[in-house]
Amino acid sequence: MSAPLSRLALRVAQILALPVFLIVLWWYLSRANTSLFVPTPGTIAGVFGEVWTPERLRTDALPSVLRLLAGFSLAGVLGIALGVLIGSSPRLRAFSEPVLEFFRAIPPPVLVPVLILFAGIDSTMKVAVIISGCIWPILLNTVEGVRAVDPVLADTCRSYGIRGGTRLRTLVLRSASPQIMAGLRQALSIAIILMVISEMFAASSGLGFTIVQFQRGFAIPEMWTGIVLLGLLGFGLAMVFGVVERRVLSWYLGLRRAARGSN
Amino acid sequence: MLDVTGLAKVYDADGRKVEAVRDLTFTLAAGELVCLVGPSGCGKTTLLKCISGLMTPTAGTVTLAGRQVTGPPADMAVVFQEYGRSLFPWMTVRQNVELPLKEKKLPKARRGELVDEALSAVGLADADGRYPWQLSGGMQQRVAIARAIAYEPKVLLMDEPFAAVDAQTRADLEDLIRTVWHKFGVTILFVTHDIDEAVYLGQRVIVLSNSPTIVQDDLTVDLPDERDQLTTRADPRFTELRAKVYAEIQAAKRGTVPVGS
Repeated sequence: MSAPLSRLALRVAQILALPVFLIVLWWYLSRANTSLFVPTPGTIAGVFGEVWTPERLRTDALPSVLRLLAGFSLAGVLGIALGVLIGSSPRLRAFSEPVLEFFRAIPPPVLVPVLILFAGIDSTMKVAVIISGCIWPILLNTVEGVRAVDPVLADTCRSYGIRGGTRLRTLVLRSASPQIMAGLRQALSIAIILMVISEMFAASSGLGFTIVQFQRGFAIPEMWTGIVLLGLLGFGLAMVFGVVERRVLSWYLGLRRAARGSN
Repeated sequence: MLDVTGLAKVYDADGRKVEAVRDLTFTLAAGELVCLVGPSGCGKTTLLKCISGLMTPTAGTVTLAGRQVTGPPADMAVVFQEYGRSLFPWMTVRQNVELPLKEKKLPKARRGELVDEALSAVGLADADGRYPWQLSGGMQQRVAIARAIAYEPKVLLMDEPFAAVDAQTRADLEDLIRTVWHKFGVTILFVTHDIDEAVYLGQRVIVLSNSPTIVQDDLTVDLPDERDQLTTRADPRFTELRAKVYAEIQAAKRGTVPVGS
């Protein structure tokens, strides 16, 4: 085997080792177990294909994922826009910060019943729940990032007449991007939680709804397949996010490596 | 080219007035290279910020090519001391140098020419695709200098640009400034706390007093135009000038004017 190929094989083995071990452990512990609630991995794998047919993926999983993405991206746009606004003005920040901290401290699931009153039980409500929960880390991190723009870099922009949109794109957003990305990462996991919770309250479709339905109908292996699917979804999204993050922050990672190297 | 008249800056620190700059008047002719030197904490940075339009003076005026400076002027470029913080770390060397030219709305071909010329003038023609943090401190400051000259300013302000680089790099960069100045014919105001550097580089050395700052002395450096780290620094006239500026600075620290000036 050539060197890069064996490195790749090693990397794959590294990634898969722990999951394989955990599945084997689960299988070992559940093999003699007659409890209805703890099926073996084999049972779950067998049921998985039956439950998550393309048809069901389209009617239950896809709308969930679309709502998740809609809520997450709207929260991103709103959070970054408001964060830039608030972060650029010390007065506005002092004025709004206690209120923002208050809203962030409210656990978003309690908003579900409230939002049902305003927005009904359709997709609007679910997207609103996701936005209301995951906007805060994005907003507050953006405020922090924008506030911390280097004064020397800001003076450089001023003396070269770089202002307005160019300043926003080349200075403010870029220098705040490490914090913004950290906020988005937190927001993504909150968004997945809220996607499920919003569907558990009042819904007729969606991943959260399906899992609760199975549980109520004592379709335990089926319920487990839903949980596994959620895990896979979260894992997939985190992977995609990681790829985007490495691209957006490649300068930052390089800068940090360089700073560590010289010290 | 650059006239500073009666410049004063008083800071308001928690209701207490701090007078940083009292009364500064001096003039730079077009194409001159003048060094400003003064004791540490004499308000050099305040002065530079007022001249570059980044700060509004309490009194007095700064006039650049006949126009009063009220904000950062379009025909002035500044090179800051903190090279590591004045370049955009998310942009390559070329993008850093090109950005102000884009904002000036120069056509692409012209931008390319200016960037290439500036980068080869500072000896970084091959580094245009690299990021600032991949370069040494001295090279980063070269990029900042390239960015300033590509901007085609009438006046180039330099705020202790070599204070944070090692001695050998510093000597190279000093010679680079002389070369760039000859090549591009730009007017340079170079602020430093290093007496040797001021005498080696300048055609004139303006000595500032302790804060609140006034002009303590304005010396003409009558050294030959061709300067060289070895011969110029060994020149008896260099030593004389250096001693004179040193005495001025010491006197400035004590708040007196030396005898005989």
